[in-house]
Amino acid sequence: MGKKGINRREFLKLTGATGSMLAAGSIGGMTFPRNVWAATPAIKGPIKIGYQAILSGTLAGYGQFHKYGAEMAVEEINKAGGIAGQRVEMEFRDSTTKGDVAIENCRYFVDSWGADFLAGIDSSGQALAIPAIIQRLDRVMIITHAATEKLTEDRVFKEGIKQIFRISNPTYNDGNGGAFVAKDLPAMKWATISPKYEYGYTCWKMFQETLRKLKPGVSFITESFAPFGTTDFRSHINTIMDASPDGLYSTEWAGELISFVKQAKEAGLFDKVKHVIFPVGAAMDVLEGLGKDMPDNIWISGRYFFRYPDSKTNNEWVARFRKRWNHYPAYVSETAYSSIHAIKAAVEKAGSKDTMAVIAALEGMEMDSPAGHRVFRKEDHQALYDVAWGKTKADPKYPFKVMGEMRVITAKECFARPPFEGPETSPPFKS
Amino acid sequence: MQSIVHVCLAGLSSGMFIWLVASGLTLIFGVLGVLNFAHGSFYMLGAYSCFTVLRYLGANFWLGLLLGPLFVCAVGFVVERFFLRRVYHLALPYQLLLTFAFVLIFDNLVKIVWGAGSLSPPTLDLFGGSVPIAGRKFPVYNLFIIGVGPLVAIGLWLFLERTWWGRIIRAASSDREMASALGVRVPVLFTSVFVFGCWLGAVGGGLAVPYTGLLTPGMGDTIIIEAFIVAVIGGLGSLKGAFTGALIIGVLSAFGTRYFPTFDMFLIFILMAAVLLWRPQGLFGEVR
Repeated sequence: MGKKGINRREFLKLTGATGSMLAAGSIGGMTFPRNVWAATPAIKGPIKIGYQAILSGTLAGYGQFHKYGAEMAVEEINKAGGIAGQRVEMEFRDSTTKGDVAIENCRYFVDSWGADFLAGIDSSGQALAIPAIIQRLDRVMIITHAATEKLTEDRVFKEGIKQIFRISNPTYNDGNGGAFVAKDLPAMKWATISPKYEYGYTCWKMFQETLRKLKPGVSFITESFAPFGTTDFRSHINTIMDASPDGLYSTEWAGELISFVKQAKEAGLFDKVKHVIFPVGAAMDVLEGLGKDMPDNIWISGRYFFRYPDSKTNNEWVARFRKRWNHYPAYVSETAYSSIHAIKAAVEKAGSKDTMAVIAALEGMEMDSPAGHRVFRKEDHQALYDVAWGKTKADPKYPFKVMGEMRVITAKECFARPPFEGPETSPPFKS
Repeated sequence: MQSIVHVCLAGLSSGMFIWLVASGLTLIFGVLGVLNFAHGSFYMLGAYSCFTVLRYLGANFWLGLLLGPLFVCAVGFVVERFFLRRVYHLALPYQLLLTFAFVLIFDNLVKIVWGAGSLSPPTLDLFGGSVPIAGRKFPVYNLFIIGVGPLVAIGLWLFLERTWWGRIIRAASSDREMASALGVRVPVLFTSVFVFGCWLGAVGGGLAVPYTGLLTPGMGDTIIIEAFIVAVIGGLGSLKGAFTGALIIGVLSAFGTRYFPTFDMFLIFILMAAVLLWRPQGLFGEVR
């Protein structure tokens, strides 16, 4: 209770008792529904969530789609009575891609604005930069995009920074999941063009290690890593074409993947290399950006794809999202939306917004979400849920390529398991 | 062999984009003495306005390339006439601060007008696709880009060395007060040179639309850094230096990516450091 923000709110409540009660009772002229939670004195409102994602530079579109998802969740939750009867407030800030900005945002959210919960973050570098400050601020932080497995394996599991959870799938899907797809393709010589930073390196390494185990005899003949911000991939494409692999694996993403695909198509790369895997190719910005230029028969996946699962929850959510924003939901929209719902479920389960209580509630918590059934693994706080892989194909219903021949590589199959040491903790598993 | 040919071609074409941006940057620095950090933004605006003509007016690419940069020239006019002009007499850091402010303003304006996400132009069939070169498909458009660079260089050289306007520009850049005393209307001249520099950057941006196939709100930030490196290597204010520098950087980074992938970015900075140690004024720079 020693936090500045809470004191100020209590102070306000005491001094302006009548005023603030009226304010809490009616928002925007509407009477706020008061359910059983109104009687629970343990939770004082509002519930404040500080969300940060990238809103500037070449990846600014991602932040926008985080915002769509998170805002929609807040609107819906508030309309239906809030979290534990308390109104939800969200503030959204630009994270850029720099570690110090992410740290500064966390500080601002908690120390100045009085956030109860934190969420967001796109870059793996940032995700690895914030655990210390999160621990010191002692707030639950739900990561919704950054994919490095080191966050949950090292920071949460090994170092015990329990405040951090991740709702999006990590590099296990990109690396191990990609290897499960590659195993069934008639390609023995693989190559990559991938991002020249943590994410690109770690996925390629994981892909190789797992594919070697799944299909002895495969070889990895060349690699070309493109720095962040590359717009001209022609030299990288030359490297691949000189090596003549059977298969190409690439974790290029967002705009860089769009540029890469267009330039590779021009150079005739897809005529030469028949088996191509883009683990994050099923992102809406990429599919919509490329439109007809996305070649057919490329294996793609992502953190969520709006056509999977074909469930009532998902289909209704996609329809609501389209109605609200006039866009198909990006995968970060789903993870942002579900992160707010995870906070709601945990607070209501804990009957408190106290950090320790919410951590206990989140550990092992199961939830239904647009992406399907999710469960937060107790040991490393990683959410387990299944995503689809599929081969790109045209569909007259959409102005962009979608997944045909969908198959699911389950989280159980491809996620590394605690304690993350020794060969039996990484796929393939016997059970 | 096949590989080396294609690495050279890739290097030459990316070098030409850097040259188009660096030429405007150099010209503006040489004449106005302003290091225009916002020059990358004019490249970005050139790309976006060309794209807009292409998409919304149903015009063809060449019309977009003609109209888009004209719009950017108008923006450049406003920037010079109402803002930059007020800081000419101040120290360099103030000019850098002001132009950097414009980088942020333009990046955000682009987000407001065109959206935060990336835009991807439809594939354009310019010059009928590609030709086989050394056993591989090579887009004719990229050959065209490789040709445009030297044409711009020759055009600029003829303009500066052989025309009356060019003489005035050179006179004003070597001695502003003397030129003014001799009746040259220096403020008008400065505005024209700035607008012309913006036009060069915007044409570069417009040409990049089919080349990279992507427009993003921060797309000017990468190329301005490269253009600065080129300007430093070639000698600040020297067009010959900027052209040579752009060729070197373009080809060197293509070779680096292909043959020394671990050091590709390192190579360029090593080169810059070496040039600065050996000739601090740059390859073609004059000692000021």
